[in-house]
Amino acid sequence: MDTGALLFQKILSQIFVGLSRTTILFIVSSGMSLILGVLRIPNIAHGSLYMIGAFMAFSVSNFFGGGSQGFWMALLLAPIGVAILSLITERGIFQFLYKREHLMLLLLTFALSLIFGDLVKLVWGAEYKSVPVPQVFHGHLTLVAGIPIPLYNLFLLLVGPVVAILLWLFVNKTKMGKISRAAAVDRDMVGAVGINVSRVFAAVFVVGCLLAGLGGVLVAPTVNVTLGMDHTLIMEAFLIVIMGGLGNIWGALIGALIFGLAQSLGILIWPQFGIIFPYAAVVIVLMIKPTGLLKSTW
Amino acid sequence: MKKNFLVIFGLVFLVSGLFMPAASYSAKTLKIGLVDTYTGPATAFTLDVLDGFKLVVDKLNAQGGVLGRKIIYETRDEKFKPDIGLAMAKELVLKENVDVLMGTINSATALAVSDFAKKEKVPFFVTFSKSEKIILEKGHRYVFMMNEHTQMAGRAAAVALAKKPYTKYWIAGDDYEYGHAIANGVWKHLQKLNPKVQLVNETWWKVGEADLTPYITQILAAKPDFAIVATGGSGMVNFQKAAKATGFNQKVPFYQHTAIELSTLAPQKKNAPEGVFGTANYLFYYPNSPENQAFVAEFQKVYNRYPKVGALYGYLTAKFIVEGFKKAGSVDKEKFINALEGMALDSPVGKLAIRACDHQLELPMYFGVTTTDPKYDFLVAKDIQVIPASQYMPSCEEVKSLRK
Repeated sequence: MDTGALLFQKILSQIFVGLSRTTILFIVSSGMSLILGVLRIPNIAHGSLYMIGAFMAFSVSNFFGGGSQGFWMALLLAPIGVAILSLITERGIFQFLYKREHLMLLLLTFALSLIFGDLVKLVWGAEYKSVPVPQVFHGHLTLVAGIPIPLYNLFLLLVGPVVAILLWLFVNKTKMGKISRAAAVDRDMVGAVGINVSRVFAAVFVVGCLLAGLGGVLVAPTVNVTLGMDHTLIMEAFLIVIMGGLGNIWGALIGALIFGLAQSLGILIWPQFGIIFPYAAVVIVLMIKPTGLLKSTW
Repeated sequence: MKKNFLVIFGLVFLVSGLFMPAASYSAKTLKIGLVDTYTGPATAFTLDVLDGFKLVVDKLNAQGGVLGRKIIYETRDEKFKPDIGLAMAKELVLKENVDVLMGTINSATALAVSDFAKKEKVPFFVTFSKSEKIILEKGHRYVFMMNEHTQMAGRAAAVALAKKPYTKYWIAGDDYEYGHAIANGVWKHLQKLNPKVQLVNETWWKVGEADLTPYITQILAAKPDFAIVATGGSGMVNFQKAAKATGFNQKVPFYQHTAIELSTLAPQKKNAPEGVFGTANYLFYYPNSPENQAFVAEFQKVYNRYPKVGALYGYLTAKFIVEGFKKAGSVDKEKFINALEGMALDSPVGKLAIRACDHQLELPMYFGVTTTDPKYDFLVAKDIQVIPASQYMPSCEEVKSLRK
């Protein structure tokens, strides 16, 4: 049996690694929640955009020689690439369908996720791709009990709050953000006062998808970039969004924290069945608060 | 008027489509139906099977085919879904009248197709499915296994690991049938070969888990001597990346089946972790024999890339099908199967036979450890140990008792 101090150190290290996973989950699911809240689109293709972000990161990183510079350029350019793709999708398809019912939008985004999946195969091929961890973040820090924390995970811990602050500024301090919040509450009223709702929707959709792309770039150095990486994520992102309260981006933050930490601490408690803890957490949260932790915009 | 014309044109088009297959029967052909996953992540493996297969068939057709017949092949994408795969196998046999079926990477599909092949008495060559049930419990006269299955992979690893001094083991892996089957395969046989081994604990994560760091830190905290990591597909690279980032590979040596395979190491370039133990049925640089070199050169010339293990499976399947029909002297399916039983052919990895008692291809297994090599921009295997099929295949008696 572990002594108290050792157990405490183990818990601390699991919290650290769990938080870095939370960062990616938060970035992706906040984008999804934003789109869900303002545009009322349950976007299944959000995971595909995350995957495309990762594949674009691979291409950009390779274009710039595959080293550290490649990664930073990918971090800058790949989300923009995803944003452009999402703008085309929004202007080309979604803007004509906002009045349709949710089921139809759900089916449409599902169709899009399949199309994007095949497009990725056409453009990048079926082979596994890998984006190297930038030189600065090679190696790991040993914080407690000889348990290593990769430097890249620490970097993710810094990125998370930065994205959260930027998102807060966008939603609360910009005119666009304020309009989008108003549109989330009453779309017709916003239109009635003479605001071009369509353009606001386009902007919000692009920001949401940009976050998916950013998540894809950030996850790329830690995983195998491959077809199908969208499926695993979309499930988790939906759970987080539902747990946090539909359309509430701060709900997504809390949801991601609960999901990520339940996973990393669950492994410590019961390694064979660590897999069930995040899902059990979702069940418990929804039993106590069926509408999600924070106020849903739906 | 224009509308009528379009309708008539459409009908003509449809009707001509209906007669198309009939037209192809008239010429003397040998038809092979491939059911496999051609969309999604599994294509990283299946396209190599197809390319290896085409290499033989295209060359042979240019030389006039086999038994005076041209070989034609039909591919069907089963989208990694057993129901679709089975429907496609039925369509290939009942409508397209294929002489032979081959595929797939999905074990559930392979089992369903195998059952159908048995009823229809059509030979079926399994080219990437890893479930041992296909050839053990559910094996029959019409199914042939052209790759290793999970029990064989496990036994091969156990043979090599039993000689190592480790005793405290940790088992971790992707929480699905393949992961558990590989882990069980290694562990069961390792316990037999080295009774001193003990299991510290196990960790299982869901398939496709993106961040394996929290799992690795937990294993490190327990300080085992060795870890058996039963990952598959994309999880292979995910784990290696997390192992490299945490320095896990320097602290706890670990084994993954296919860790040394090109599909796992090539995408990571020089960033893959060193010192990882792995097994693979094929390495394009080993053995450095003229046969292997010739195969690699031929494959590279056509496809401009190194062949992976799937390419060997596809290549050998095509070779055995062709030689089987040659030896049988006719397209009679029963004569073809009789001809294949016990047949041995030269291959890039030496002389290989199809065992008569269970139709398992007797592939050698390579056990090695990852290392850098200035010749390549990715990691390769060193200290390669060849484990011959006889050492890691279940015996004919075992197969017989399981098939009862």
